[in-house]
Amino acid sequence: MRATLTRPGLCRVEQIMGTAITLDLADDLPPATLRELADDVFAWMHEVDARFSTYKPDSEVCRFDRGEVLLSEASADLRFVLETCADLWGATDGFFDAYATGRLDPSGYVKGWAAQVASDRLVAAGAVNHCVNAGGDVRVRGLSPSGEPWRIGIRHPWDAMAACLVLTGTDLAVATSGVYERGRHVLDPRRGAPASGLRSVTVVGTDLGVADAYATAALAMGTPGLNWLARLDDHAHAAITDNARQYHSANLPLTD
Amino acid sequence: MRRALLAITGLAASTTALVVFKGPPGATQVAQNLPTAQPVNPTPQDVEPSAGPSGVAPKPSATADAPTSPKPTKSTARPSGTRTTTKAAPRTTTKAPQSTTRRVTGNGFENEYGYVQVQIVVSGNRIVEAVALSLPSGGESDIHSGDVRNRYDGSGGEVVQKQNANLNTVSGATETSNSYKQSLRSAIEQAF
Repeated sequence: MRATLTRPGLCRVEQIMGTAITLDLADDLPPATLRELADDVFAWMHEVDARFSTYKPDSEVCRFDRGEVLLSEASADLRFVLETCADLWGATDGFFDAYATGRLDPSGYVKGWAAQVASDRLVAAGAVNHCVNAGGDVRVRGLSPSGEPWRIGIRHPWDAMAACLVLTGTDLAVATSGVYERGRHVLDPRRGAPASGLRSVTVVGTDLGVADAYATAALAMGTPGLNWLARLDDHAHAAITDNARQYHSANLPLTD
Repeated sequence: MRRALLAITGLAASTTALVVFKGPPGATQVAQNLPTAQPVNPTPQDVEPSAGPSGVAPKPSATADAPTSPKPTKSTARPSGTRTTTKAAPRTTTKAPQSTTRRVTGNGFENEYGYVQVQIVVSGNRIVEAVALSLPSGGESDIHSGDVRNRYDGSGGEVVQKQNANLNTVSGATETSNSYKQSLRSAIEQAF
């Protein structure tokens, strides 16, 4: 335990976007530098929240949705997000749908994307060893404070404090979508009804926004999502069914 | 709710351990180094998706009006009202022993499921108790555990297991526990 108190780097948690964002900087940099890096990360997350929140009527997303902002007037970030959501809609056979609720809600992509951008910026700034966890969407790079690759637990669907799988890696985007805490909040956009069959889906890749969208889409597909996941060559996955069976791709970076 | 209690007990235990090991107050390390990685499930357990009734019995100690005990791992999930704790501190005319007990309430944090707020009881430089004044309630978790057991048919795949491992972080919706951690952190920041 004492070792964790003298570890290098910095760890900070803030509540943004209705969830906890945890930043773990593992580089042994001067404290002032670390604080500055962390400040930048959280300033970015606040900025994304202010612009993309569907709960803030004056956010750019809401103003765009109400027609007060034209696509041509939208920020480069919003245009990028809208384009990517359209691509994801196609790539997921319509199961990732930013308009699933009837209004524009790109949150299923934005949270992971924001964390991914934060991580990319940290790398560019020379902080190559870090972990960004945005409400359970995880982007790790380099090594953890212990000098070993990051160990990422996948939350056990029936026990919030347990992991059912442990992944290890130095460059992973890990997104898990589950129906445990929020109940069945993921709608099958084709039937308009809650998805069933899968309890949680984890997708591992290199782009956290895409991984998150894929995980949400597969969850919405229900059991057929297992077959869809199996066709994603450039991503690894794990899925747990409602009857507590666990499936994962052969390329999943499991510990051991 | 039962799971929430267990979750809190685990969180409280590990955080308490941290603070207890921390040594004298004044070192400001604690707040920044509150682990993002809680040791998940310290005892490996087999199978059974529904860890509820069969897996772990609810702690008898997790009641609201239990007297404060020096054990660090205690927690309750109910508002504790305004009870005050007095640690038998014998008063003398000369020098009173420095065993004052105080309560510090962390900031409340709203998440998608409700409101989370934690209070700690500090004796000297030790946290002797952490109490969740408010936690989201409900959720489908409990309903589904039984549901799943009934439908458990053992076809295909592996049975979901619990892993015993030191983790740096966890993927999956962890909003409630993170809010708890955050409220706890702010309480610790105020206390030390």
